[in-house]
Amino acid sequence: MSVKGAELELKSLPRVSARRRMADRTVQSLVYAAFVIAIIPLVSVLWMVVTRGMERLDLDFLTFSMNGLSSSDEGGGANHAIVGTLQQVGLTAVMAVPLGILTGVYLVEYGGNSRLARVITFFVDVMTGIPSIVAGLFILAFWLLALGFEYSGFAGALALAILMMPTVVRATEEMLKLVPNDLREASYALGVPRWRTICFVVLPTALTGIVTGVMLAVARVMGETAPLLLLVFITDAINSNPFEGPQGSLPTFIWYQAGDPNPQAIERAWAAALTLILIIMLLNLGARLLARLRKPVSR
Amino acid sequence: MKNGSRLAALGGVVVAGALALSACGSDNNAGTDASNAPTGKVDCVKGTVNAAGASSQKNAIEEWKKIYAQQCAGATLNYNPAGSGAGIQAFLAGQVSFAGSDSALDAEEAPKAQQRCQGNPAWNLPMVVGPVAVIYNLQGVDGLQLKPETLASIFAGKIKKWNDPAIAKDNPDAQLPDNDIKPIHRADESGTTENFTDYLGNVAGDVWKWEAEKKWPTEAGGQGAPKSDGVVTVLKQTQGGISYVEMSFATKNSLQTAKIANGAGEFVEVSEQSVGSALDGAKIVGQGNDLAMELDYNTKTAGAYPIFLVTYEVVCSKGLPADQAQFVKAFLKYTASEDGQKVLTEAGYAPLSDGLATKVRASIEALS
Repeated sequence: MSVKGAELELKSLPRVSARRRMADRTVQSLVYAAFVIAIIPLVSVLWMVVTRGMERLDLDFLTFSMNGLSSSDEGGGANHAIVGTLQQVGLTAVMAVPLGILTGVYLVEYGGNSRLARVITFFVDVMTGIPSIVAGLFILAFWLLALGFEYSGFAGALALAILMMPTVVRATEEMLKLVPNDLREASYALGVPRWRTICFVVLPTALTGIVTGVMLAVARVMGETAPLLLLVFITDAINSNPFEGPQGSLPTFIWYQAGDPNPQAIERAWAAALTLILIIMLLNLGARLLARLRKPVSR
Repeated sequence: MKNGSRLAALGGVVVAGALALSACGSDNNAGTDASNAPTGKVDCVKGTVNAAGASSQKNAIEEWKKIYAQQCAGATLNYNPAGSGAGIQAFLAGQVSFAGSDSALDAEEAPKAQQRCQGNPAWNLPMVVGPVAVIYNLQGVDGLQLKPETLASIFAGKIKKWNDPAIAKDNPDAQLPDNDIKPIHRADESGTTENFTDYLGNVAGDVWKWEAEKKWPTEAGGQGAPKSDGVVTVLKQTQGGISYVEMSFATKNSLQTAKIANGAGEFVEVSEQSVGSALDGAKIVGQGNDLAMELDYNTKTAGAYPIFLVTYEVVCSKGLPADQAQFVKAFLKYTASEDGQKVLTEAGYAPLSDGLATKVRASIEALS
């Protein structure tokens, strides 16, 4: 009986026709091919940077500056650039992250569909599309030319903050929208005021996403070259005060060294590119770890 | 709570790492470099000064600031080789203390410069003589010879093949291939371009109809590349390419250079000596301590190479903040000194002629 039933079932579900199976296979292989094609540039860039960057990436490279060396000399390092980049991006994050997150909180929790919220959303959209050089020129005209300040890492950080803020606002907004309304209502039902609900229920729930968004924003501004060239200038010496005088930075260091035809300079450019990738990767790993540590709380 | 302390620990590790990295950093590269360039006594003024300008003098400035800093610890010059145009812009806006430029300030820029210097005139001080080498990339053809008209026709896009009869006439013995000529020019505003186009317009006016400008005339065509370094990089990758660049870039990268016919019709190899002969024919047109020059591209002096540029340092005669003014004066005093000029020869430039150098030194003494 059961055997017969199985046979019946087989009959009622006829074998997939050859044509359909072929179509299935074709589409499947097309999808795989598309995936491989999409991955090729990424892998080849990484491969290139790692193999060529490893030639010069050593302790000397991380701890020495280029002070007193011309581009055709051997040796030298990117310490001045690493210090500059970390400080500039750090300052940028200090300015842009709180502002961005608070804006995002306003838009989702308080703004609703009000006129102000719509205007802010519109301008955040516009700001997302600002090319980095325009942000740089704005700060150049405003901070350096009109107010008369000198080149400094802080001026660069101001321009980077303009670029970073909209990304943070967007990420925060999207993540807060994903927080279920039930959570908020449950909190209100227990008599918790709105601000405490946001601080202790909504934000922790969305933390993982917000952190990821912030890290993407950091990675984006860390590679910006144009505003830094205009605002931070370049130097070969270590300047660990971001508020005074020109600083080095990894993107401008790469730009400067890669434009030089001397092989020693090209090697330094590759090593600096690898360093930049490594720093961004470390920051990302740190953020992932942080998000994982927080996870049990929200669930 | 436990998570909170772990977060704090993580943050602490990151901060500590960053601090360690900046604390271990060293500006002292003295051990890694065995420079045997002549060093001289320098007036040591410590401080940091920013300058920007001609990329053609980048190699000279790099050597100078290296030696100056070796003699005078704590003196940092930041030179951004952004091009003559960008350098003058930054100088006029008051962002840099002096500019390097391959051409003297023009009538439009001079009053703005005076404004920038608190009402005092800005001076053009010749500092580096840069022969403009015509570089090319053509395997099997060394020592290419070109008459000015041929050169102009090539860059104007009128001669398109390497075996064109005009080139063959200039090079009776060479085996010229049937390749396309690919002219490469500077994409950014450049004093090298201004000098080169000025030269072409002067010696081959009927072929080269464009004004001398920092920007390459688009109608002339060809491929653009940013900065002197960029031109070299692109030329190295372009079989059949031809371009123009300051001589030090050609020597440093061992590129093929063409011999150019001077006013007497003699084909001359670009070199420090052949430019020195030509420099004697140049006139000073600036007033007083301003040493702007007019170059003679049609020089008939025997063995004189006709295309060269004089790179100026554009400085305020007065009106800079005292610390910057002292630094600029001390640094330029060194670069114009005999020891400073000797560095140029090693870096592939030509030194100032003795008479001119004396005048430059006198002008620098007058800076305040």
